[in-house]
Amino acid sequence: MKARYLNICSVFAGLFLTLALFRVTAAKEVSYLSLADYTGPIAGLNVPADMGLSDFIKEINEKGGVDGIKINFIGIDTRYDVARAVSAYKRYRRTEKLLMVNSISTGIGKAVAGLIEKDKRAQIVPGDGEYQAHVQRTFLWGPAYQDALAATFDWIMEDWKAKGNAGAPVVGYLSWDNPYGREHLRGGQEYAQKIGIKLLPPEFFPPGTLKHDVYLTRLAKGGANYIHAGGVDPTPTNVIRDAYSLGLTKKIQFTTDYWGPTELGLGVHAEVLEGIVITSFFQRGEDAKANSFVTDMWKRNRGSMEKFNEVYGMGISWGITFVEGLKASVKAAGFEKLEGDDMYKAYQTLKGLDKKGIQGPCAYSDKSRRGSLEVKIYRITKGKALPISDWRTAPDAVSLHKF
Amino acid sequence: MRSYRTAILFLAVIFTVVTAGCSGTMSPVSKAKATLEVVPAEIFLSPALIKSPVSFKGAGFQPNEMVSVEMVVPKGLEIKGVGKDEDAVGLAFGTADKDGNFSAAMQPTATLNWFFQVGWTPLLRPDFKQAKPLPPGIYQINATGMDSGIAGSSNLKIVPPPKQPQK
Repeated sequence: MKARYLNICSVFAGLFLTLALFRVTAAKEVSYLSLADYTGPIAGLNVPADMGLSDFIKEINEKGGVDGIKINFIGIDTRYDVARAVSAYKRYRRTEKLLMVNSISTGIGKAVAGLIEKDKRAQIVPGDGEYQAHVQRTFLWGPAYQDALAATFDWIMEDWKAKGNAGAPVVGYLSWDNPYGREHLRGGQEYAQKIGIKLLPPEFFPPGTLKHDVYLTRLAKGGANYIHAGGVDPTPTNVIRDAYSLGLTKKIQFTTDYWGPTELGLGVHAEVLEGIVITSFFQRGEDAKANSFVTDMWKRNRGSMEKFNEVYGMGISWGITFVEGLKASVKAAGFEKLEGDDMYKAYQTLKGLDKKGIQGPCAYSDKSRRGSLEVKIYRITKGKALPISDWRTAPDAVSLHKF
Repeated sequence: MRSYRTAILFLAVIFTVVTAGCSGTMSPVSKAKATLEVVPAEIFLSPALIKSPVSFKGAGFQPNEMVSVEMVVPKGLEIKGVGKDEDAVGLAFGTADKDGNFSAAMQPTATLNWFFQVGWTPLLRPDFKQAKPLPPGIYQINATGMDSGIAGSSNLKIVPPPKQPQK
């Protein structure tokens, strides 16, 4: 009987040792949660972005990680559904050393923000200016949406004057009827007024709208000289396709935001997109293809450049930021005590971080949640997205709005 | 002899606690019970659910906490976008009022993605040709307070669509 008890004790002791060994060998790992869309309406851009991030992380891990710490990439397919993202965050929020959440949708970011605060963690979101107005634990990928719209308005004024026109142009705005679509105007509208642009009443339509003729016709009848088409590619491509069919692209200059036509839209509708202007915080088209840091990583991991999409570089930029944040947080807290709060603090020290030319230098600080301050203006010319400006600082439109 | 038993019991308890601690994805556990009502409790899948979606009402949650409503994925059922290791998919969410009551309705994306399992066209239209609607059956629905872990449960019955009258 005594031997039997000793055997049972030794089994437990063995289990303890195995567990302890597992903890020692597997413990040096941190996690990154991407609440992404891989099979839903914005998958066309989200998939290449997370490919860039996961390739970057894979290569870091293959080289031994960050100070021996491996990064565990957790990608969840929300299919652009906020309820699914909230549920997924519930599932993963207690993951040990979950240091960052990427909420890929303005709606998801807003829904998860309160939980991120309670969990003393940090999240990154596309461009919701609310988090620059009320600085908390949510960081933006680049300048706020409203800053980028203001930069577009600046370009519109330059273009208007360069064409020999007097006064200010009339501008129309149409975008998705959701938090993303409305965010640009929360400060953007005030900026238009500030520089004298007459902004027509905005038009909103549900994602998935098949034809945009009604909205476009209303803006054209309102006297629009320029129309800013929002939505995630291929939506802007489809809006401009409809404008082209109506003959509007001949007399109205179309502009788009960060999610305007990429290789995705250009591959299908290059002809109708000719001449349109894109304001972007990350490199597009030929610029992205000329960035060897980005294209080499693509070739190493994905092979032929045939299916390359410039959003891949944006994913790499997320990875660069995360890795530098990890280095800073480990330096400050050490691995054993490392928590989401340490990453939150570390992100605030990344001001000036070089993003390998993919976007402007990091602008995160204790007072700034902007991922960078610069945008670049591109024009579709002969089926290619070519830069027509250098990097330029986007105006602060967030501060013009009362949140 | 008794000391051996005590030692084994002690080791077993410690082992359980340690292994539980290693499980990073544990949810807050609460014995408190909330109530949950699914409205309507019985449906058949039709496009009418986009305009008149399934909604949820609950009581007994912590005041002002976010409540996540999830459908338990039955074993063997694959749902587009949901990992095989995931046991539930979110359908809706809401915030409890000061009395701990909440209500929430499924958004069109949730109905399309999780009930119809549609595909999405390059034009961002739901593609019903790729749809794989949930099979008829009884599905468990859970509502969980995100702060308290207080949970309520109910069922949603999906029945086959009524047969079209023969012409």
